[in-house]
Formats: sequence, structure tokens, C-alpha cells
Amino acid sequence: MKIERQIDQIINENVTAITAGEESLESILARYPQMAGELRPRLEAAIWMGQGRLSLATRPGFICDSRKYLETQIRSMQPNSVWKRIAWRYTPQRWVFNVAAPILVLLLLALVMNSAVLTARLSIPGDPLYSTKLVIEDLQLAFTFDQVDKTNLQIQQSRERALEFVELVMEGKYEYLPIAAARMETEIIASLHALNNVAKNAPAVEMPLIANLRDTLSNEISMLNILKGTSPALAHPGIDLAIQVAQSGVLALR
Amino acid sequence: MPGRLDKDHELIKKAQRGDSHAFGDLYESHAPAIFRYLYAHLDSQMDAEDLTGEVFLKAWQSLPKYTERGVPFLAFLFRIARNALVDYYRQNNRLETKDPQDMDGYTADGVSEPIEVVGSQMEHQQILRILRKLRPDYQSVLTLRFISALSPDETAQVMNRSVGAIRVLQHRALAALREEMDKSG
Repeated sequence: MKIERQIDQIINENVTAITAGEESLESILARYPQMAGELRPRLEAAIWMGQGRLSLATRPGFICDSRKYLETQIRSMQPNSVWKRIAWRYTPQRWVFNVAAPILVLLLLALVMNSAVLTARLSIPGDPLYSTKLVIEDLQLAFTFDQVDKTNLQIQQSRERALEFVELVMEGKYEYLPIAAARMETEIIASLHALNNVAKNAPAVEMPLIANLRDTLSNEISMLNILKGTSPALAHPGIDLAIQVAQSGVLALR
Repeated sequence: MPGRLDKDHELIKKAQRGDSHAFGDLYESHAPAIFRYLYAHLDSQMDAEDLTGEVFLKAWQSLPKYTERGVPFLAFLFRIARNALVDYYRQNNRLETKDPQDMDGYTADGVSEPIEVVGSQMEHQQILRILRKLRPDYQSVLTLRFISALSPDETAQVMNRSVGAIRVLQHRALAALREEMDKSG
């Protein structure tokens, strides 16, 4: 420990006691003989200042009286109107901070959410954000109230499942193929149900939708057949399953 | 100290919302230290009293801009007090124009008021006389540490220096003060 720090500590601990007469200068010096030479003049000076402190005290009643005067002055200075009070409490810097901080936080949140949604949209089965993609699709369906739009969305989602299937084959993730084929089947069945509902409620628009689904399924079958020809035998059972699912859909449409 | 800081924190928040009574409480707890600091630099007790009031009025006006993350409230008050002293000496032509960083740099030529021969006032004049022979930064560190009873940390914040630098400064200031005490008998 540096000597300045040690002497400061000794002074802090003992000046009050010496001033109050509880300790003597000599007794303190006797406790620190190794630094008595340095300590004595400083301790004497500190004691002198400590004693002088008493002569610099406020006169009796000053604090109480001046407090009342100060409070009266402050009250007379206080702004009367609401706007002036607000302006007094909030400096321009604080206004800027109060407005800018929430906007910045909202912008950051929007940015993060947007990136997450975009990443989720590009995900395939097995990706961490795939479940988010399915939730987003479900939400889209839940908030689409027009039957025709809903059916179009179902067909689009069934197309999306087929594309995911292709991507899985191309990335060699064959273990996910049976699950992906099952999802394709679920989407096709949901599209067929949606088509049935359209047939009941709006028969006039049924034909274009049927044609759309048929084209989608036919394209999927052709795409899957090409894929089968170019992929290893390990992927064939999964691809066969998907072709079967798409063919069942075409049959159901007929 | 943490207790005092917590209490100050609450009072400052209330005062910032315009509560003059809360500011009065802050005044009551800190005014004695500010007064002692000012009185240790001034000849007249009345001037020290007036200046104490001015310091707190200025603090009230600056309160909306005050944030505790910067400096503790006590250090904030002492900074205002230092500036108020500089202004006081400028107005009274007792000090050559100096930078606020150089505060307390008034000379020993200040004209003393006629004093009544009362013990405490004699002591005050003696302190003033001896302190004025010291370097300005020595005067500051000694009054802040021993007259206003600030901790080394608080003193460091008021004087804009590190705690280590304050300890070294105090070490030298005490030695210089002892020498002056010897010379003055």
C-alpha cells in the first residue's frame, strides 16, 4: 500500500477521535512508529483543520430559516401552466431520448421479426425455423376469409410442400422424405376439402381452381419422376411415396 | 453512505417532479457542508450564507438536466459552489480572472472585514489566513476533505481527478499546511 493511502486511512480513522479527546496524537504515533516522521506533521495539520471545522459551522437556526426562504423562492419560480411544467421537467435532450428510444426499439424489433420470417419462409423440414414457417402458413389461412382465396392458398401450400420435398432430395436429407410426403398428402387433402366447399358455395369459380390443382399435381408428378431418375436408390422409396400421393390427388380430382 | 445516497435518490426524483419540500430536505442535509466550504473561502459569514442559498437555487434550476449517472448529487452541488465562488470573486474584484478549473486561486490580499473578537470568528480568520497562503488546489482538497468532510471519492469527483491523485494531493497539502502553521506560529 502506498504511504499516501496509509496515512490517509490513519487520518480518516483517528482525527475525529483525537478532536473529541478520545485519543491523543502521541498514542496514534506510537501505534505507527515506522511512519511517525511522515505522519506527525500531517496528523497535526488534519487535527487543526478538524478543530477549525467547528468554527465554520452555520449559526443556530440558519438552516431552518433559510430552508423556508429557499422553498418560498422555488415556489415563486415554479411554472404555472401545465405546458411550462412539462417543459421544465423535460429538457430537449430528454424529449429526444424519450421519443427516439421507443422508435429505435420498435425498428429493431421489426428488423429482427422480418429477418426471422424471411429465414422461416426459406426453411425446409429439419431446419430450426421450419415450425415457424408452418405457424405463419396456418395464420395466413386463419386470416383468409374468402373461400376462393383460401383454396388458392391451400393449393399454393401444397406446391410449397412439393418444392420442400425436392429440396430435401437434393440436399440428401432422405430421412425426412416420408414425413415430407405425409405433409404433401395432408395439404392435398386440405386442398380437395377446400375445393368441395367452393363447389357448394360458389360453383362458378370451381373449374379454374380444379384446373389449378390438377396442373400443380401433374407438374409435381413429372418433377418427382425426373428427380427419381437423377437421385440415388436410397431416395427412391420416399420419392415413390410422394408420386403415389400426388397421383391419388389427381385421381380424387377426377 | 448508501443510506444517504438512497434517500438523496428519492428526494432528487421528487424534486425533479417539482416538489419543493423534497428539495428543502436535500437542502437541509447538504447545506451545512456547502456552507462550511464557502465560509472557509470567504471573510464574511453573511456572504457565505447568501452564496449557500444561491448555490441551491442554481442547483434547483439545473435539476431537470441533472442525471445521477454522471456525478453524485453532493459532487454536483460542490461543483456549483466552486463556480459560485469564482463568480463571487470576479464580481468583487478580489480575484484575477481565472479558469473555473483553477477555482479558489484568490490571493492573500483579500481585505478582511473588521471582526468581533469572538473565539470562533478568530479561528475562522486564522484558518482563512493560513489557507490563503497555500496553493489553490491544496486549499480545495483540504477544505473539501476536512472542512466539508467529503470522502476521497467525493472529493475526486468534485475536483475532476482520480482518487489516487486526490490522496497524493492531500498528502502534500497537509505537509504544506503544517509548514504554514509553523511559520504563522
